[in-house]
Amino acid sequence: MPELDLLGGVLIQSTWAMMPILLAALGEILTERSGVVNIGLEGIMLISALFAVFVADKTLNPWLGVLTAIGIGAFIGLIHGFISVYLKGNQIISGLGINTFAAGFVAYSIEVFWGVRGYYTPKPEAKVPRLPAIGVSPLFLATIAITIVLFIILYKFDIGLKIRACGENPEAADVVGVKVELMQLTSTIIGGALTGLAGAVLSIDWLASITKQLPAGRGFIALALVNFANWNPLYGLLGSFIFGFLWTASEYMKNLEYFTRAIPMPLINTIPYIATLIVVAGVIGRSRPPQSVGVPYRRELD
Amino acid sequence: MSEMCVDNPLVLMKDIVKVFPDGTIALRGVNFELCKGEIHGLLGENGAGKTTLMKILAGLLKPTRGEVIVKGRKVKFRSPADALRFGIGIVMQGLSLVPVFTAYENIVLGSRGTKPSREFVEKLMKEVGLIVPLDAVVENLSFGVRQKVEILKMLALNVDILILDEPTTNLSPSEIRELFKSLKKLREEGKSIVFITHKIREVLEVTDRVTVLRKGRVMGSVETSKTNPRELAKMMVGRDVELLIEKPPWRPNGVALIVDELEVMGDLGVPAVKGVSFSVNYGEIFGVAGVEGNGQIELAEALAGIRKPLRGRIVMNGDDITKLDVSERYNRGLAYIPEDRKVALIMEFSVLENTPLTEISYNKELVNRMGFMKIKRIVEKSMGIIKQYGVVTPSIYAPARSLSGGNQQKLVVGRELMKDPRVIIAVQPTRGLDVAATEYVRNLLVKMRSSGKAVILISSDLDEILGLSDRFAVMYNGRFMGILEPDKVTDEELGLMMGGYTYEEIKARKV
Ligand SMILES: Nc1ncnc2c1ncn2[C@@H]1O[C@H](COP(=O)(O)OP(=O)(O)OP(=O)(O)O)[C@@H](O)[C@H]1O
Ligand SMILES: [Mg+2]
Repeated sequence: MPELDLLGGVLIQSTWAMMPILLAALGEILTERSGVVNIGLEGIMLISALFAVFVADKTLNPWLGVLTAIGIGAFIGLIHGFISVYLKGNQIISGLGINTFAAGFVAYSIEVFWGVRGYYTPKPEAKVPRLPAIGVSPLFLATIAITIVLFIILYKFDIGLKIRACGENPEAADVVGVKVELMQLTSTIIGGALTGLAGAVLSIDWLASITKQLPAGRGFIALALVNFANWNPLYGLLGSFIFGFLWTASEYMKNLEYFTRAIPMPLINTIPYIATLIVVAGVIGRSRPPQSVGVPYRRELD
Repeated sequence: MSEMCVDNPLVLMKDIVKVFPDGTIALRGVNFELCKGEIHGLLGENGAGKTTLMKILAGLLKPTRGEVIVKGRKVKFRSPADALRFGIGIVMQGLSLVPVFTAYENIVLGSRGTKPSREFVEKLMKEVGLIVPLDAVVENLSFGVRQKVEILKMLALNVDILILDEPTTNLSPSEIRELFKSLKKLREEGKSIVFITHKIREVLEVTDRVTVLRKGRVMGSVETSKTNPRELAKMMVGRDVELLIEKPPWRPNGVALIVDELEVMGDLGVPAVKGVSFSVNYGEIFGVAGVEGNGQIELAEALAGIRKPLRGRIVMNGDDITKLDVSERYNRGLAYIPEDRKVALIMEFSVLENTPLTEISYNKELVNRMGFMKIKRIVEKSMGIIKQYGVVTPSIYAPARSLSGGNQQKLVVGRELMKDPRVIIAVQPTRGLDVAATEYVRNLLVKMRSSGKAVILISSDLDEILGLSDRFAVMYNGRFMGILEPDKVTDEELGLMMGGYTYEEIKARKV
């Protein structure tokens, strides 16, 4: 049955299309739950993707590439967290800075690292192997596991309660002795690390290449998904799956002539975005952001 | 003031000075002692420094100078976590709970190590007699219950020194009674409690000892059983040196405004103004004194038309204006100077753009019939305000935000007075202004009054009320405790009225 094969193919492809968005969204959910907003997801993905390729290509070990990406993401998260939490800087500007820096830095680095312009494809050994039998990436299973673990931590453990309290009312957390700044910094670092992993998925798992536009807006879709998912990892999983599936399906549609003749190409491109928005918004209804997100906590000047 | 406790004091604060970064001196060498197992009242007017002093003890602020000794050890807290380690917990003024969490989640939020079980919390609730619905989301709970959640939250952290900052605000009388019962029970269990308030009645009802603060200084520390409301009132209130305000004699000239049995709903869904009646004459400043939060703001907003009254009548210049909207009232000669400049001005707008805001809907001199603004006229007016009221600004095109607080206030006052109003409502018109700007604004109000306008001055600054008003009322819990003339009242009487005794009660020596 060719239709079933097609569906199977689309489903497997969807796992890749959803992974980067989901991972970045999970990272941002954690970050924002703690009260910090990081709009630099796109930039973190891009820089992490670059270093994932660089390390995996040099060592021919994709796992070292993945670890590097996580580390780079965590490092950028650390910088953003430090600026936001301790220096009480403007979080939007810091996030924008990450994105702007990433665009220039990666374009330049591709030239410096490999002497090519705009585009580099690593050796085949640098790519993350697929799981035999099902054909999905092992990182996909890891992503699902991370989703569930994050959900459990946020809602079932008292550390999650503390993190969420920091995003809702940091003063309330502070007066009962919760270390607000430490919570926020740690959450932002882990958020960055997850976004870094998203970058590695893009450059050495799903695809095997690095360009200066590799994330192609996925960082921003992830930001939107955080809202639609009502800052809940499980809804994030649902939303990213719908998006991934529709995105892959629309890619297939582009190859079918009778579709492209009926619907103009740019319109097909918008389907996954609009449909995800409608479905997720419909399922979740009104979302409620953490009340103190983006506002640096100051215990009054002393 | 030492040697007051039987044993060594549990907490000893010595010579505490606190200067805020903006130069405000909140505490000027305060000594404070808390004994074991007592409920200690901390009494004082708005801005006396009560919260500041206790925030220092709770690790939320660092003292500029002075020593804090807890349980015999000198401490320097850097965070509330440090204070908690010494068993000190604070319930903040206005509460700080996570509204989307359940009561249980809020109570166990601060636990270190393993989270206290539900059974533990339930047992705790029974022990201290504070019962709350553990699974209810806090934002759906009444203020009384929230207050209990706050206290339980601290008890779950094993606090033995509990600081409560104005815990009775927003509580109903029965909730207050219940709270007091619990506090006494906690005292029996050996907890020591600091109870911050400006209500003398409450101090007398629940405390063992009381320390009175005024303007950053301790006015005295006495055993509650050895004092009386009059003494406390006198300590709490004190008149400053007379202000340098030239005030020509009072010549009331016809009734400007009559307020009859006005009742106004507050933000919390209970009436904030509970049947207030008074009248104001032209050529008179009518003051409304009282501790903040006793319904003054709601009264002002109802007069201005921003808040619809539940009941009662407002008559201005012979016409019933109770049902008129804001711009209609402005059109009839009402001017409103709100307490918050961020309400009066749009900070991102320029001085020019702010100029016509309160008359744009009716003043045909500034706006034509099609709704086009007559820019030239507005520019002229804007320049006029700046010149006449001495607003210091680089130009009329500078955003209001860039002006200093005093100049923002001058702009607001100037804008409202330029409309040549007949009745002026001014709420905290000098809050946050420096001495020169304060004097300027006060003189302006007196000038308005002497030129025959009616001024209603609402302020929690007693000196301002006493210095400017011809007659004034003291507001407490939504009601007027009396309407008096400034030079016919003693500090003691004032303090008592601010603490909830009516003038008749005081005169009848029932206190
Ligand atoms: N963070 C701050 N920066 C500057 N000044 C401050 C700050 N906090 C308080 N103040 C000022 O310090 C003084 C004492 O304030 P505090 O809050 O301790 O008074 P309070 O006795 O608690 O009054 P209330 O009854 O209104 O709560 C006031 O003049 C206040 O304006
Ligand atoms: Mg206070």
